[in-house]
Amino acid sequence: MDKSKKSLIVLEIILIIVVAVFLYPIFLVIINSLKSFKEVMTNVIALPASLHFENYTYVWKNINYPRLFLNNVIVTVTAILGIVVFCSIAGFMLSRTRSRLSWLLYIFCIAPMLIPFQTIMITLIKFLKIINLPNNVWGLGTLYWGFAAPTAIFMYHGFVKNVPKEIDESAIVDGASTLRMFFSIIFPLLKPITSTIVIIDVMWIWNDFLLPLIFLDGAKETKTLTLAAYTFIGQYITDWQYTMTAIVLAVVPSILFFIFMQKHIVKGVTAGAVKG
Amino acid sequence: MFVINKGVSRFKFLIYVLPVIVLISLIIYVPFIMSMAYSFTEWNGISREAKFIGLENFKNIFVNDSSFQSSAVFTMRYSVLFIIIINVLALLLAVMLDKKLYSTNILRAGFFIPYILSLVIVGFIWRFIFMQGFNALGEITGWNVFSWSWLGDAKLAFWSILIVSIWQSIGLYIVIYIAGLQSIPHELLEASIVDGAGKIKRFFSVTFPLLMPSVTTCVFLALTNSIKVFDVIVSLTGGGPGGATVSITYDIYKEAFQNNFYGYGTAKALLLFVAILVITLVQVTFFKSKEVEV
Repeated sequence: MDKSKKSLIVLEIILIIVVAVFLYPIFLVIINSLKSFKEVMTNVIALPASLHFENYTYVWKNINYPRLFLNNVIVTVTAILGIVVFCSIAGFMLSRTRSRLSWLLYIFCIAPMLIPFQTIMITLIKFLKIINLPNNVWGLGTLYWGFAAPTAIFMYHGFVKNVPKEIDESAIVDGASTLRMFFSIIFPLLKPITSTIVIIDVMWIWNDFLLPLIFLDGAKETKTLTLAAYTFIGQYITDWQYTMTAIVLAVVPSILFFIFMQKHIVKGVTAGAVKG
Repeated sequence: MFVINKGVSRFKFLIYVLPVIVLISLIIYVPFIMSMAYSFTEWNGISREAKFIGLENFKNIFVNDSSFQSSAVFTMRYSVLFIIIINVLALLLAVMLDKKLYSTNILRAGFFIPYILSLVIVGFIWRFIFMQGFNALGEITGWNVFSWSWLGDAKLAFWSILIVSIWQSIGLYIVIYIAGLQSIPHELLEASIVDGAGKIKRFFSVTFPLLMPSVTTCVFLALTNSIKVFDVIVSLTGGGPGGATVSITYDIYKEAFQNNFYGYGTAKALLLFVAILVITLVQVTFFKSKEVEV
């Protein structure tokens, strides 16, 4: 008994050291974002001698941080709203309707899960130019409706199977129209799967890189946070104090999101991985 | 609900399903069909005309294109090592973190944090660590590892990308394995203790087989993610040194958006699709059969 307790304490100490080493790179980035260029070059590991917050004001203004943040919010919110509204009702309908047509349409919807983005990205850009989808953040947000739909429909479809049919039937007796019945009665029941979908899609869309890179026009105002950080760091590649600052500014929203939503995030990605 | 009035219901059904059908068609199927068509052409993306050249693109890929071949080799080596290392490490850590520790929650959160960061940014973080951080650590510790050229040497750059990718996503695999471990019924483990099975034997004969669904999930995830590795390469090595760390997806990107060989790029992109399709089908059948045995 005593022996196993002791070994647990040893294990715990080892794990704490491992995590500290594991997160040390992030710590180094944060302390170096507050140093002068000279100090970064001569003393990476030491804590900053004095705090150079002017790095932050410089990068903040240079990349127009508030605008970028707003852009990310626009892309993510546009995307998520569309995904949830269109896919929840489609997944529900496809799951409830038992017919050959319904089954075929379901397969049609989920088959693209097997098509990698890179396979279609080149012709997608060409096609979007033909149909004139504006290559700004609003256009970008709507593109995710299509890219997220196969997985979202797959997940809703599977979840709806476990929602008892009696619930929809009782609503019909009450005389509710289908759409109203869906959003007032069914949709609340789908909350667990909706939150899983929202979590994994927010993490993906907020951080996505390749689609914004090839789709958005080069203008500064239309960039996403990750894309702008990428361009900025590309330009200032040797000005380590600025690149570290840009990194911190780019990841702060994700870290805050994680701190406040930790439980939901872990639950969401686990459920999403198992079901997707 | 559909029994009451079939005619109306069918119409409603189509109305509600139509939006996703249209979205998926326009955003995925149309470009996919275009990809198939353009893969038989010579098309530079700028001129309107794409010239039909039959199977020429595919022939060139397999016969003349050494950069595609080296990127394919890179991607395969990377994927195999990524799948094995991340699963072994994550499982090991999950077993340790599943024990009753005081700081379990903080430790788990610590391993998970890099996963919420964008991979491009993670690449930049480690660029700094490999270039500046390692210099300083080398001076302090005097260890040789820190003075190696982690990004400048082709062999080491491969390992850098592997290490950084694993660092970024291991937290995800750990939480999936922990969830799997926690779903194993206690009675089974207790029964094996009564039977006198040692710790290691218990793990391999009781815990591991019951964990097979989680293993399937994690291997599948690791495969789909590693085979498409892109972001981290762009910011960490830029494909260098000398093209040594160019993956298939990076090769496709460069072909189309930097060299303007659009037709040729789509041909490569289509091959990627076929490869992923075959590997996925093989893997799904293989692991499904394993799960049934258990």
